[in-house]
Amino acid sequence: MRRFGWSRILFNLLAWAIVFVVSFPLLWTIVTSLKPQTELFLIPPSLLPGEVTFEHYAKLLLETRFLAYFSNSVVVSVATTVLVVAVAVLGAHSLVRFAYPGRERLAQLVLFTYLLPSVVLIIPLYLLLVRMGIANTLFSLVVAYTTFALPFAVWLLRSFMAGIPQDLEAAAMVDGASRMGAFFDVILPQALPGIISTAVFTFILAWNEYLFALVLVNQDSSRTLTTGVITMLVTSFHIEWSMLMAASVMMSVPVIVVFAFLQKHLTRGFGAGAVKG
Amino acid sequence: MTNAGATAQAIAPRLKLSTQYGLLGALLIAPTVLIFCAVIVYPLVSAIYLSLFSIYTPTLKGSWVGLDNYVALLASGEFWNAFWVNVVWTVGTLVLQVVLGVALALLLHQNIVFRSLARSLILFPYFMSTVVAVLVWRWVFNDLYGILNHAMMWMGLMSVPLDWIGSMPNAMISVILVGAWKYFPFVVISVLARLQTIPDHLYEAATMDGAGWWGRFTDITLPQLREVLFIVILLRAIWDFKEFDLIYLLTGGGPVTATQTLPLLVYKHAFALNEMGGASAVAVLMMLFMLGFMLLYFRYGRATES
Repeated sequence: MRRFGWSRILFNLLAWAIVFVVSFPLLWTIVTSLKPQTELFLIPPSLLPGEVTFEHYAKLLLETRFLAYFSNSVVVSVATTVLVVAVAVLGAHSLVRFAYPGRERLAQLVLFTYLLPSVVLIIPLYLLLVRMGIANTLFSLVVAYTTFALPFAVWLLRSFMAGIPQDLEAAAMVDGASRMGAFFDVILPQALPGIISTAVFTFILAWNEYLFALVLVNQDSSRTLTTGVITMLVTSFHIEWSMLMAASVMMSVPVIVVFAFLQKHLTRGFGAGAVKG
Repeated sequence: MTNAGATAQAIAPRLKLSTQYGLLGALLIAPTVLIFCAVIVYPLVSAIYLSLFSIYTPTLKGSWVGLDNYVALLASGEFWNAFWVNVVWTVGTLVLQVVLGVALALLLHQNIVFRSLARSLILFPYFMSTVVAVLVWRWVFNDLYGILNHAMMWMGLMSVPLDWIGSMPNAMISVILVGAWKYFPFVVISVLARLQTIPDHLYEAATMDGAGWWGRFTDITLPQLREVLFIVILLRAIWDFKEFDLIYLLTGGGPVTATQTLPLLVYKHAFALNEMGGASAVAVLMMLFMLGFMLLYFRYGRATES
């Protein structure tokens, strides 16, 4: 096949046209967030901003509770990730490397809970958290987020850790390590790429969560970004489009950062974990 | 292993080594099991129990009504409407996700310029918050200032702006489209990972036998993707069926109840109608539908396999 033939150029153009159409809403968000308010309501809309402004970003950061919601989101997502990954690493190691009655049943149960709809759990959880007196707190969200994050993390880590050769652990034990010693010295370093991917995905799941945040938190001081931005900028009569688009861009920053650094891990790890199982 | 066994036995001579390891294994899984029981098993059992009560949400006071919630639901038009809306949404968005997902995976498997950037752009919607995705689309769909109406009018596809969210069947089409856009990257990732493992010599052999690109696709690629698509379709069907955020934020179930799926009905019963017992009953029925679907899917999948 010729390397730089016309068909090749045409194919590239076509491929990028499709990519452009699919990612157009993302680009449009950025463009809209940079337009001055007056340009937003032009008919027909201008494709590129006539004048680039960062006033909507500044207004969000300085005059609204955006940063408070942002830090709530960071606290909840980091706490969920640390808790869930620590518990899931031990659990997954046990499911992969140890033999005891009921192990396979347990693995199936994890998969089942991974597919369980949140709306089934949300009413009993709401009642439980109200009765314990911790509704409306960030902690209640961490508790609620473990319901989907833990099954996800155990399932993903289990498939990662099953890929580590059995011989490595045995070799360490021949050299005199105990089972836990071998786990810390041999298994953990080997599993590190898998653990990082799992942590990243768990963080994104928690960062993006909406339903639990909507139901469990009814107080502005514990709102996360997903619910906070909506209550702040969307009412039934009026929607602040410019600020909403700027908020959308800033909410996506952590996800973009993760993407830029971990793209290879993401595709590989995610495909393997979610599908091969 | 014998050396390790000897050391371990020297430490705790009373227990057999396999028993010791079994105990250690159980200890390591214990935190997972405890958390599962507290936040998943207990709420699950209690959801079934609550569905037998009538509970007023603001006071959380309840009284035993037995199966009355279920009887009332199964006789109500709203419940069956929500069920069919849910089926239409799931099938519609799932078909689009799979077709788009496989097509774009094939495209991104090719050697195009800046391929990793193209992959990132395509995968991004899956990882972004549903809240952001829906807000962006609501702006694109906006009836007065939205780019979609203007683009379609400019291309001469229509002469007056359309109401994409507030009327039927547009609202259902919009929800299905946004769902497809948000979730098809999952199919892309899974299929792309599998495509990379199909050996090249299969294609070379087929080309020598005179197969065109369509022949290579149907004879080699599709059969190789069978297994991965079987799982992907199962997962996506379940996740689409239970989707709440996207529909709630885009249409709120409207116009009236035209896009109100079962998860939205649960929310409405619990927090708008203040009837937590009834809401639990909807949730339990929904879970039963999903279980039934999974059983049928596996049975049918096994049957066609052999």
